[in-house]
Amino acid sequence: MTTSSSNERFLRQIPLIGEKGQKRLARAKVCIAGAGGLGSTIATYLAAAGVGSFRIIDNDIVEESNLNRQILYRSGDCGKRKVDIAARAIRDLNPDATVEPVCSCIDAMTVNHLLTGADLVLDGMDNYPARYHLNRACLNLRIPYLHGAVHGFYGQAITIIPGETACLRCIVPRPPDTGKVPIIGVTCGVIGSIQATEAINCITGSRAALAGRLLIWNGVQGDVDIIPTLRSHDCPDCGEYTPGSEREGI
Amino acid sequence: MNVRVKAFAVFREVMEKEVEFTLSEHTTISDLLAALAVQYPGFGDMAFEAPGVLRKFVNILHNGRNIEFLKGLDTPVADGDSIALFPPMGGG
Repeated sequence: MTTSSSNERFLRQIPLIGEKGQKRLARAKVCIAGAGGLGSTIATYLAAAGVGSFRIIDNDIVEESNLNRQILYRSGDCGKRKVDIAARAIRDLNPDATVEPVCSCIDAMTVNHLLTGADLVLDGMDNYPARYHLNRACLNLRIPYLHGAVHGFYGQAITIIPGETACLRCIVPRPPDTGKVPIIGVTCGVIGSIQATEAINCITGSRAALAGRLLIWNGVQGDVDIIPTLRSHDCPDCGEYTPGSEREGI
Repeated sequence: MNVRVKAFAVFREVMEKEVEFTLSEHTTISDLLAALAVQYPGFGDMAFEAPGVLRKFVNILHNGRNIEFLKGLDTPVADGDSIALFPPMGGG
């Protein structure tokens, strides 16, 4: 059987990340929290790049109003569980991938269990309470947390390395008002692609380009800006954190 | 003293993306925001829900640290400081 890990499939990217990097991708275990607009883009590009193991978490079903941005789903998927459709799409892209679809909410009771064993956590959530649970759990479990969020034509992304960089709570201590925010698919594509790029950087041993650097995308003006961030000693989530050992790729 | 203010996302609808202010000594973030409100009509309404009360989406980083973990609006600013104003996005 020809597998998707054959050099033919990844011929055009191995010059960039090397055979060693490709093997690291195949060994990597990523957790995608949220299978919406960001999660769809993240899952698609990481599956295509050859990431070997996915846990994808969401407790929603596909609705027609999702289809402007959640590119894993088709019209005929409405009414089905997102994680099941997402798992099928990932396997279709990379038959060698192992996919664990988890239909669950992310809260204080579930989060540690859901993230345990992951090398990276990618944020595809749509609310800050869940993001704060991810943030705290990633700090506790010492898992890099690749945050992303969108609003209209604006988006943001940052990579949080436990013990090294500012955490999400350092940067956004109070949750903004949430609800049905306006979102267009292209913004999810931009920010999800940036998160996936960061994941590939982390997995293959490159320095995460956005570690401690908040990227702001402005799709109206075509601007990309970086805001340098620092840990806050009084942060309730990471203020007392003791740095762990350095990680050299995964 | 000079302080650099950088605005992101929706704040750019009411002000320039980057501006340098010359301020007197012993100035705070609150004083700086008041100066911004004078210079840029629309900034005050965007940033404050009531006098002295920032809207929930207004995040202010002072040299990379959120003022919530410093002294809030009373955080002093010094020559050469960099202040970033951004609204965190929430959707996914």
